[in-house]
Parts: sequence; C-alpha cells; structure tokens
Amino acid sequence: MAIKFDVSGLKESFSKQVAVMKKEGLKKTAENFWYGRPHTADEGGRRIGELFENKTGLYKHREWRGVKDTMYYFYMIWLYNYIFMVKDVMVMGGLVNFAKGVWRYRWVGQTYLPVLHWFDRGLQGMRGEAMAASAWHYRGMVSTTIRQFQRMFAADTRLHGGKQNDIYKHTFAHNETVWGGMFYPWSDKFQNVPLEMIPYFVTCHVNSHVVLNYIDAVQSIGLPGDPCPMCQAESGIFVLDDVPDYAPLVVTCNEACDASVSTSTLQDWFFDKPLFSLPMPMLFDDPLVKKYCEREIEECWKFIEQQTGVPFNWDQMVKKLEAQNELQRFEWEKWDVICHSDYYPVNGVAQALYRIYQTQYGEWEIWHKCDRKVRKIMEKCVSKKINPFPQTRHRVIAWSCAPLYYSNWCTWAYNCWGLNVVINMDSLMFDMTIRTDSYENMLEDVAQYHMWAPMRRMAVGGMKHMFELWEYMERFNCDMVAMYDQLQCKGVQGVHGLFEDEFRRRDVKAFWIPHALPDCRTVSRAEIRRLINDYMSTVMHEEPLDPSLLDFDDSMTW
Amino acid sequence: MKDLKHLIYFENLLQEANNDLVKQAKADGKRAIGYTCYFMPEVLLDLPGCFSVRLRAPRCTSPDIATYYMSSRVCHYARSLMERALEGGFNFLDAQMATETCTATCRFQEHLEQKHLDSVQDMRIIDNDDFFCSFTDVPFKNNQISYEHFAEQLRVHVLGELHNHFGIDVSDDAIRAAVEQQNEVSRLMQEIGSYRKLDNPTITGYEYHVIQLCTLACPKYLILPYLRETAEELKTREPDLKKEFRCKVVLAGSENDDPDFTKLVESCGARVVCDRYCYGSVESRQIIELPEGVDPVFAIAKHYLSTSNCPRFMPQDEMRARKKRIADLAKEYHADGVIIASNKFCEYWSYERVIDTVILNRDFGLPVCSIEKEYINSASGQLRTRFQAFVESVEIKHIQEGK
Repeated sequence: MAIKFDVSGLKESFSKQVAVMKKEGLKKTAENFWYGRPHTADEGGRRIGELFENKTGLYKHREWRGVKDTMYYFYMIWLYNYIFMVKDVMVMGGLVNFAKGVWRYRWVGQTYLPVLHWFDRGLQGMRGEAMAASAWHYRGMVSTTIRQFQRMFAADTRLHGGKQNDIYKHTFAHNETVWGGMFYPWSDKFQNVPLEMIPYFVTCHVNSHVVLNYIDAVQSIGLPGDPCPMCQAESGIFVLDDVPDYAPLVVTCNEACDASVSTSTLQDWFFDKPLFSLPMPMLFDDPLVKKYCEREIEECWKFIEQQTGVPFNWDQMVKKLEAQNELQRFEWEKWDVICHSDYYPVNGVAQALYRIYQTQYGEWEIWHKCDRKVRKIMEKCVSKKINPFPQTRHRVIAWSCAPLYYSNWCTWAYNCWGLNVVINMDSLMFDMTIRTDSYENMLEDVAQYHMWAPMRRMAVGGMKHMFELWEYMERFNCDMVAMYDQLQCKGVQGVHGLFEDEFRRRDVKAFWIPHALPDCRTVSRAEIRRLINDYMSTVMHEEPLDPSLLDFDDSMTW
Repeated sequence: MKDLKHLIYFENLLQEANNDLVKQAKADGKRAIGYTCYFMPEVLLDLPGCFSVRLRAPRCTSPDIATYYMSSRVCHYARSLMERALEGGFNFLDAQMATETCTATCRFQEHLEQKHLDSVQDMRIIDNDDFFCSFTDVPFKNNQISYEHFAEQLRVHVLGELHNHFGIDVSDDAIRAAVEQQNEVSRLMQEIGSYRKLDNPTITGYEYHVIQLCTLACPKYLILPYLRETAEELKTREPDLKKEFRCKVVLAGSENDDPDFTKLVESCGARVVCDRYCYGSVESRQIIELPEGVDPVFAIAKHYLSTSNCPRFMPQDEMRARKKRIADLAKEYHADGVIIASNKFCEYWSYERVIDTVILNRDFGLPVCSIEKEYINSASGQLRTRFQAFVESVEIKHIQEGK
C-alpha cells in the first residue's frame, strides 16, 4: 500500500514563512533564526500563543528559541531528561517493577509520559540562563519523583503477590506533610516515602486531570465539595485503593488544617497499620508549644524504634542535617541575589516547586547536584551582569497557596505581561538551618522546622504571619502582589477582607488569583488569565508584551 | 405534656447573648468571659469574680459584613459570631478565651484580638477598653504529654491572664469552688436529661436543648435556681398518654446551638433523646473529678481532653472509639437511630459524618440519617423531607423486624 503524505499544511506554512521573510528582509529573518524572535509585540514579537493547538495546548511545532537555546533545550533538557527518566527507572527499582506499577496505579501511567510537556509549560519562552537554571530545578524534581514511586513499587505487597519483602520492611510511609527529616536517623538503613506526594501532589502539576478522579471518588461516598480539595484528593486515592502498600508503619500529622486532620483519620480507617499521629501544634510562636512539640517528636522517634528495633542514629542525623543545611545556605544565597539584583536566573514556577519539594521531602543527593548546576549559572549571571528576565515590568511576590494545576501561571504572566514572580510564600517557609552541636539544640530546631510547614508557616499559626507579606515585599524589592485565593482554604478565606483593607490602605498593587488547589474545574486556567488580563489592562493600564497570549483555550491540556 | 414552668423564660434567655442574667451578673461586678469551643474549660471561666458565656449568634441569618471579612466560604457559625460582634452584640465581653481548635472560629477570634501590629490594622470590634483575647493551644491527642501541655497552657493563657487583667483569684480553692458549682449544674442536667431514657420520655429534646444552652450562655450561679426548680418539676411530670413520636434518635455532629433544629427533627416524629454535638451535654455535663493530691488544673485539663468526642483527635484508637461511643449512647438512651448533622463548611465534621454514616450502620447496625445544615436553618423544608423519610425508614425497619 502506498503511503501518501499530505503536504498542503507544509506548503501553507512554507508560504507564510516566505511572506514573512519578504516583509522583514533577509537580515532580520536571519537574526530571528539565529537568536530567536524578540519577546515583545513592538519588536515584531514571537507570538507564543500561536504555537498551541486549540484546547489541548499541544504545540503545533517546537518553540524556536534561536539556534543556541533551541539546541540546548533539545539536548540538555528534552533529550537529557528523557534519557534520565529511563535510566532512573532502571537504576531505582527496575523496569519490571515500573511496568507493574504503571499497570496497577493510574496516577503513574497518566503522568509519566506528559512530563516533558510539563517542562515545556514551565519553561515556555525562557531563554539562555533562565531556561537552563529553571530546567535544572525540574530535573531534580523528576529524579526524586522517580526514586519515590520506584521505591513504592519495589516494596508494594500488591505487586509482589502479597509478600512483604525486605524493601517493604525497610520503608517508612508518612503523610506528605510530615517533613522527611523526621526519618533522618534511620536513613542509612531505611527510606521514607510520603503517601501522597507522588500519587497526588506531583501528578496534578504534571497532568491536572489525574486528580479529578480522586476528588470525585471521595465525594461519591458522601463528602461535601467544600473541604480543601487537596485533602479530598488525598482521601480519594485511598477510597479508590490507589495507594501502594509499601511500608509496615505510618506516621501521620495534622498539617496543615482541619481537613488534613480529617484526611488522616479517613486514611487510618482504610490503612489499618501501626500508626503514629505526630501533632503539629498551630500556635508555634508560644515557647510552651514548642516544648510540647519536641516531646511529641521524641515519642514519634520512640515509636519508630519500637516498630523497627533499630535505634536512633545520632551520627546519621547529624550527617543528613548538615547536608540539608548546605541546601538551605545556598537558598539564602539565591535570595540574596533576588533581593539585590536583577540577575536571578530561576523563574517563578521552578523556584516555587523546587523549593517546596526539596524542603518538604528532605535532603537527597540530587538536590545538591542541581544546586551546583544552578550556582554556576547564577554566578555567571551575577559576574557578567546578565538579566535573565529582561522584559520584567513588575517584580511580583506570590502569596498564600498556589494553584497546583496552574503553577506555571507565572511563566505565562512573564511572557504576556512582564510580571516576574521573583519569590513566593512557599519558598520562604523553612527559613532556617538546624543546629547539630547538641541533641537539645537539634531537637529544638527540628520542632521549629516541623511547625513551620507548608501552608502553615504564614497561612495559619497566628494571623500576624499572614501579614508578614509587607516585610517580604520590601525585602525582595517587589512592587506587586499576586494574592492566591484558595477558595476552599478556611484559614485564608477567614482573613480575605483584611487583605482587601490593607491593600487599599497601603496602596499596594495586588491582584487575586482564585483557585481550588488541584481542582481545575472550579476556576479554570483561562479564568485565572482573564482576571490578570483585566487587572493589568483596567487597573494598571498596560499593554501586553505578547498579545497572542491574552486569550487561548487550554481547557483540555495536561 | 404540661409546659415546663420556666421554658418561656429559658427561651427568652437565648434570644440574645447579652441576656437578662448576663446583665445581672455584670451588674454584680463580675467579668464576662466569652469562649466558643468545648476545649476551653468553662469551669475555669466561672471562677469567683467572672462567668463564662459560650458565644452564640441567635437569629443571625445574613452576616453580610462578616462575609466581606471572612468570605462566603467559611462556616456560617463563625461568620454569624463575627457579624454579631461587629453589630456590637458582644460588647459586654471583658475577655475572649480563644482556642485554635477549628480554623473558622480561630479566625473569628483573631479578628477580635487587638494585635497592635504595624502589619495589619486592628478593627476594635469589641467596644470595651478592658477587653482582651488570649489564645490557648489545644493538643490533638489524648495522652499524658497532651494533658501536661494543656494544663500548662491553661495556667498561662487562661488563669494567668484572668489574674493579671482582672485580679481573679486563681488559687486551688477558687478552682475547687468553681468545679463544685459546675458539678452541681452537671448533676442537675444529668438528672433532667435522664428522663429522656424513659420509654415515653417526660422531656422533649427541644426542651432539653433549650435548658442545656442556658447553662452554657448564662452565669451558672444565676441559672442554678431555675435548674433546681425544673429538676424538681420533672419528678412529677406526666408524659402524654399517646406517644408524640414515632422513633427515638441520637443527634450527633458539629456545632449546634439552634433549638429550633431539634424542634424541626421532633416535629417530623423523631424524639431527640441524646445530644452528642458541640454545645450538647454528653461531654459538657459530666462530673469533673478532682482526685486528692492531683493538681486541679491538670485534672481539669485531663477531664476536658478525655471526655471530648471531637473529630479533631487524630489517633487511630480515638477515631475508632468515637464511633463506638455514639453506638453506646444509642443503646443507653434506647435510640432507634442516629442523625449525624454537620454544619456546612465544617471540615472536621464533613469527614466525620461520612465515616459515621458508613460505620454506624455497617458495624453497629444503626440506621443513620446524614445531614449537612446551616447554622440557622432556613432550608427547613428540605430538612423536613429528609427527617420524615428517615423516620419512615426506621418504622419500616421495625415492621420488618416484627417489633
């Protein structure tokens, strides 16, 4: 049978290119080819919005970023990460376990293949150092994700005929909101894997449709739609029995809110394993509360000792904490560059996701590797005075909890409006190193770190912490606030009006981003863009840098 | 049945937070101390020189200004309290003893607090120069560490603050006197409530709900004479010859300070014989034991943590025990079923209700009616239909069982 190629599309595209060449002239065309089209409409811009297929958000063709950046993107980001996604799977648990896991658990199959589209969304329009540094952050997250789900699959009794193998016996399960550092003292013999971090949290960034099934599942047994959708999704994976059985014990906690407590109880109901509830007191400023928290942490460690028969290893704890402190010190260096210059090369989404992932999961070698790469790029930017985001019109601080299904909104906002999200609330939570000079100091700092958890450090624990926004706004030299409005977060909703009052009183330029964490059905991505567009045009009276990004339909995109 | 002598008086006391007895106590020179949650031990707010008022916002159906501050997606109870406070309805309060036990009421109480910060302007909602707000951290577990921590919190954030601000006597003797007073209230409420266990109860769920709320919203020393008289009256109260109900139920769930909700349930043929909800008596009207040689504050802390059935407690054993307690109550009160009601936007009880609905029926064979309600129930028609259907289903079950 003869294969026929339809060349009419190619002909049309070629004709268009010829017409553009004629209009722009050969020199300009050659420049655009070599360096990539300029960003703004005034300069005959790149019109990124025209790259997308309607609804799906798939690309009609790859973004041309100029010869150098396109080649870098293809080899060092696209190909490099694909190769390592395969290599990591083979090294960290093997292809057989992976295949079994993909067959059994819907969240892994539905997210593994779109991973590079997740890169594309987050790195869209990025050039040079911004593209490279941000991509290294993505690489760190992908590797850690593979490591976790492969560990789950290697240990999973469901994938091994009900057998509790040696890996199972050397793995700890815990809520994703329990900081991984709690398990450092046993990390030379055991590995900890959060229950929901991969099945729920990571997946909804990569493919926003995966999580909807879990939210629907828990509502199908009678839960109303108004509790925090993150907790709903975390419960839903249990309702659908879509969590591997990979550890003999579980540590849960109440972080971050009422619904998290309830989620833990609902999970316990399904799990039925030896379990320790590790409280995370709310009023963390109170020294008495910290003492109480320290005692409960010690109880947790005793529980692990009793369950495993392996004693607390102080040397291992110190070793891991020192390594974690190194990560924190580099983060402070990064903040220093953000605060005092325009040379910071990491974009808003990479900064936010990498930081929350790294700090919550805990110390791991891939973070150091990625940080070394980013350091090199950052130092180059600083020494050569390279501004990786030259079209910045506003330096934005993003406050409160971000929409997980549209964490890359800030990439869009920079491309479309020149809104450069330089820092966000989640990055600022764990603003501390942990002392290792004595057990007492270590315990005190571990308790503090534990209580300064995601969605907690500023969002609850005393209203005053929410309003630390002004302090950070000044420190990071920001002139605008992107205020996340998680519609089902009772803690943030409870102070909504006060923020309105303060924005007015201080004449702070701020726009709200309503969302429902992982649930893209409540407020669509298009609606978020529309609200920002409205604010930028009607309040700020500004013109978009790239008008092709103002309005497009990506309702079906991953 | 013949009307209770003081029922109308009790009902009137519930029309405003600043009711006649509160005014009388204030006129007696006592300090009014507000609170919202069971985890704030009311007995410590009833020390000589002050009295506790568990906050309510009766008849608040449209909390518009509170909705601006707290949005429409926060529980109606917290917003109603905020609205009532903004209206000046809580200006009689001298202090608010706050707990961070649920997010919505925590935020409400934080709005009341004068924070004196540069970062956010205080609203001065409570127009009272003496007013202050103090937060207590409440543990999520029921163990020795939690008892010790809670006791310390109460010493510092409740007793210490009351003493420092108002010179309240917080000695062990004063605490024992307050406990004795509360125990008398509890004994009377237990006695009054015991008539609900009769085959044909001589007190309705509505009447009991009203009286229970009065004990929470009024100064104890002023409500006690009425309780004594009511208890005496009930000793000889005759039930109706023909039962006015078709089944008996335990009403469990989240915050409920609306007696009209109980009345609605009863108007559909279900007699509420047990009140296992926030503001109910199952926990709050238990006798507080102060063993010899034990620090009374520690004993009180332990009492309040160990008697609570709040879904805020995380551990596995607590979660499982809570279901059994409801089943035990149904047995003790001879109830035919359980109504589990959660306030809309209450995250704790949204989940707990789901689990209860499945487990009470599956593991204990109890018919369960699962309801989501508002703080003030304007949608009574829909609820009525649900309750009527539930009562009918219980009756059908009885017929099938040959009862």
